[in-house]
Amino acid sequence: MTRPSPWAQALALAVAGGVSLLFLFPYAWMLSSALRSTREILSAPLGLWPAKPSAEAFASIAEAGGTTLLRATLNSLGITAASTALAVCITALGAYALTRRPQALAFRLLRAGFLLSMMYPYMLLVIPVYLVMFKLGLLGGYTGIVLFLSLGPVQFFLFEQFFRTLPPEVIEAATVDGASEAQILFRIVLPMAAPVVATVATITFLLNWAQWFPVLVISATPDTYTLPVALLALNGELGTNFQGIMAMALITTVPPALVFLLAQRRVMGGLTDGAVKG
Amino acid sequence: MFIRLITALVAAMLLASPGRAQQLSIWHDLGDNGTKWLAEAGAEFAKTHPGVSLRPISYPTDQWFGRTIGAINTGTAPDLLFSNYERVIRVASQTGKIGDMRAVLDGIADHGFLSGDDLRVASFGGRMIILPVQRVQMAFGVRKSWLDKVGEPFPQTWEDAKRVAGKFQAGDPEGTGTGTVFGFALEAAKPRDLIHMLDLFTFGAGLRHTLVDPEGNVVIDEPEHARVLAEVLNTFGAYKLVPPDTINYSFNEMYQVIEGGRTGMFRVGDWNVAKWDAQGIKGDFVVGAWPRFFADRQNAVVIGGMRGVAVPENAPNKKLADEFAAFLLGKPAQQASLRIVGSAVRRDLDVSGLSERQRLFAQPQWPLIAYDFPEGGLAWYPELEAAFHRKLLTAIAVPPQDMPAFVKATAEEMRTLAKQLAARKG
Amino acid sequence: MPGLAIRREGVFYLFALPFAALTILFGLWPILLSIQVSFTASATALQPHPQWVGLANYAAIFADPVFQASLARTLLYTVLAVAANLAFALAYALLLDSALIGWGRTVFKLAVFLPVVTPDVAGYVVWRWLYDQSFGAVNAALKLAGLPGFGGLASPGTAMLALLVAELWHHAGFYVLIFLANLAILDRAQTEASHIDGATTLQRFWYVTLPQLRPAIAVNLVYALIQFLKTFTAVVVMTKGGPADATNFVSFYAYQQFDSAQYGQATAMATVLFAIVLLVALSAYRVTERGRA
Repeated sequence: MTRPSPWAQALALAVAGGVSLLFLFPYAWMLSSALRSTREILSAPLGLWPAKPSAEAFASIAEAGGTTLLRATLNSLGITAASTALAVCITALGAYALTRRPQALAFRLLRAGFLLSMMYPYMLLVIPVYLVMFKLGLLGGYTGIVLFLSLGPVQFFLFEQFFRTLPPEVIEAATVDGASEAQILFRIVLPMAAPVVATVATITFLLNWAQWFPVLVISATPDTYTLPVALLALNGELGTNFQGIMAMALITTVPPALVFLLAQRRVMGGLTDGAVKG
Repeated sequence: MFIRLITALVAAMLLASPGRAQQLSIWHDLGDNGTKWLAEAGAEFAKTHPGVSLRPISYPTDQWFGRTIGAINTGTAPDLLFSNYERVIRVASQTGKIGDMRAVLDGIADHGFLSGDDLRVASFGGRMIILPVQRVQMAFGVRKSWLDKVGEPFPQTWEDAKRVAGKFQAGDPEGTGTGTVFGFALEAAKPRDLIHMLDLFTFGAGLRHTLVDPEGNVVIDEPEHARVLAEVLNTFGAYKLVPPDTINYSFNEMYQVIEGGRTGMFRVGDWNVAKWDAQGIKGDFVVGAWPRFFADRQNAVVIGGMRGVAVPENAPNKKLADEFAAFLLGKPAQQASLRIVGSAVRRDLDVSGLSERQRLFAQPQWPLIAYDFPEGGLAWYPELEAAFHRKLLTAIAVPPQDMPAFVKATAEEMRTLAKQLAARKG
Repeated sequence: MPGLAIRREGVFYLFALPFAALTILFGLWPILLSIQVSFTASATALQPHPQWVGLANYAAIFADPVFQASLARTLLYTVLAVAANLAFALAYALLLDSALIGWGRTVFKLAVFLPVVTPDVAGYVVWRWLYDQSFGAVNAALKLAGLPGFGGLASPGTAMLALLVAELWHHAGFYVLIFLANLAILDRAQTEASHIDGATTLQRFWYVTLPQLRPAIAVNLVYALIQFLKTFTAVVVMTKGGPADATNFVSFYAYQQFDSAQYGQATAMATVLFAIVLLVALSAYRVTERGRA
């Protein structure tokens, strides 16, 4: 193979670097806008370095969007963690059953129904979901939000794909040895599935952290708002300062960004696998 | 089968749960100040009603609509609603379940401070849908320091206002460079936004109607109306005296440009003053009547109707809710309303603790003109207004070459539509 | 012992039970409710005994010029957004995969993928103000470069483009990732053979690389189509459907109808959009399956 010319290499680096900087610019602007006064932003809209950095914006959102920042943060952490744990358990069990007995009519129907419901434009489920939650007595509580967020297509596909690659001999051998199905699942299959579980958990955390619409619909008061919902409410509230909104956006962005950067291989690998199957 | 089982289980659990202390919920859209005032009123109310607590919840206005309507329609209504008259009308017309407050009003011994006009702006479809608690006044405000910098007094006429706006934009009053600050803060994103702005300039100029008269005749091409309409549209467009993104601004963005020091002239509601005295504008503003458009018409501060309390028919604690609604017209709650929110309806309140600007609203020294509220009498008005708004938005997005011709054509279009709507809805 | 066998099978149903419960309660039931509401009069839709109106809501929305325009706009936007996202993602993935870039490949990949895991509300709130003509960085940068100003979200002519760019920022990283995964398993032997045959770069791309990227293209196409047909959060945060309806897509219009209690028409719109998404997904699936066969 011919070696590419240094000029071409430099050009390629410049293009990729330029695109990357453009993609990262909004983060820098968000951070700098949270720290700069309106006067400073107007004087130098492109300046990113605050002349007189002020953390006033962060203080101004201690109570914001109808709830306290602390409460919204705890809600975000709690709801995301609980729904992640639940999603992993429920989807793993479900996908396992469906892959082990793919021919069962009930399971074929379930799979089709699941895929169908994942395709519905979710933002149009406002009233129906609201009604369902009301009928189940789950409106306004954490339970409804957590349960609703415990179902997702990527999670299902990842587990399904993993269970499909299980060597049948392993299970056959265990069956011959007299192991029950529960023993096979918990003693043999799940230990093998540890990496997938970790991947699904990380991805679910990232996806659920960003969810806002179901949280907004199922909440009866701002008491159960998560950070993105509080941010949205803040953005629609009267007389909220611009810096406060940027500070709130920053707080909403940092946790998933950190999780992603720490687990980037897992996340990107997992999303690729989950999607290629879908 | 499965669903029914779960439903039954949950229902059983709900029934079995022990009775809670009574909590009244009230949904409003007044933001932090409103929550503070209502919480204070609720605490006062609890003194005579042991075991009762009030939970005020503020939603951004657009969410407030959806939530309120959805909750009432699904039987999950709050006990009380607090908002502007025209917003409650929408809720009433889309749910048909806003209780009649007439009996509550009659139960209040001294309600003489509510005038006939006030009560007219509380009724819809033969019912009193709100108990009026706050009079909404909207004046014209100008940045004081900017006026000083460009050496102008508070603008009296529309020509003054335009000149001052131009000077603001050229004069760089904040030292941030030209092109960064603007003459007026307006809004146009949602249907109500643009009409709201038009209302303020129209009524402020001394006219009595924005789109139709009480008989439903379209008035926008009458010479005086046509002039105000053309000027307002040009202010959004051709004159370039507003931030270029104004077409996408709703209340919250408008507030951001006002409080962020990016515009010199703006709307000041009575409920804004307490906050703007302390934060945001930090007292750097003068308030007065809206600009005068016609030498022979008195310009004025605009009464944008009433804010009041409503009780859904399916409120969980209806009787108690009615009691609290009446309580909001009592002296303690009214005094708190004046102090915290900046407006009230009682006349026997103590104004000594108010700032000078707040007192201007509490004891107005300027002429007042009220909104006409055609939606109270013409059932089809909201649809006409929505069409009118769409029409005006296109004129802002793509300014017409010939403004008079546009106004004329729009008037004709509205007349045709009004006729159709009236025929359909009666 | 047949009893044992049944118990052995039964345990699978037990495993699937929670998953089935959630799917039914929060997936299928709401959808059925929604479809049911679309056949009732809005005023009575949520009452215990709604008034059935047959297809009246569907007739009403198709007669509504705002809905017609909204539907056409949604389809146009979807086509443009899918094309732009896939073209960008493919080009960027090819660049990152090429021998030209050795150093920094991971960083370049992370940079475009970070927005994917950034909560969309937060991202769009920032973009909304980046576009502000007197305040934001976009126009300031254009001015600095001596280019004409960009109307951004405030001009009906540019609002859709502005939205598209912000959405591309949020979504494209995912498509890049899929293309990269596919590029990593290309048959290098074929490419090298074409080198020997003296094919030009463009010919190599067209006849050798592109056909092998078929799986990634298919996956991305399906995802992007579904994604952009349902564009919603960006509109809620950035434009509220404006200016002058320029970004009033079906999902947002239906949501607005919901909010003003037009439940019948709103759910009818939802059903129409659902049907379109389903149609797209199914036909894409069929095409892909045929491609694989």
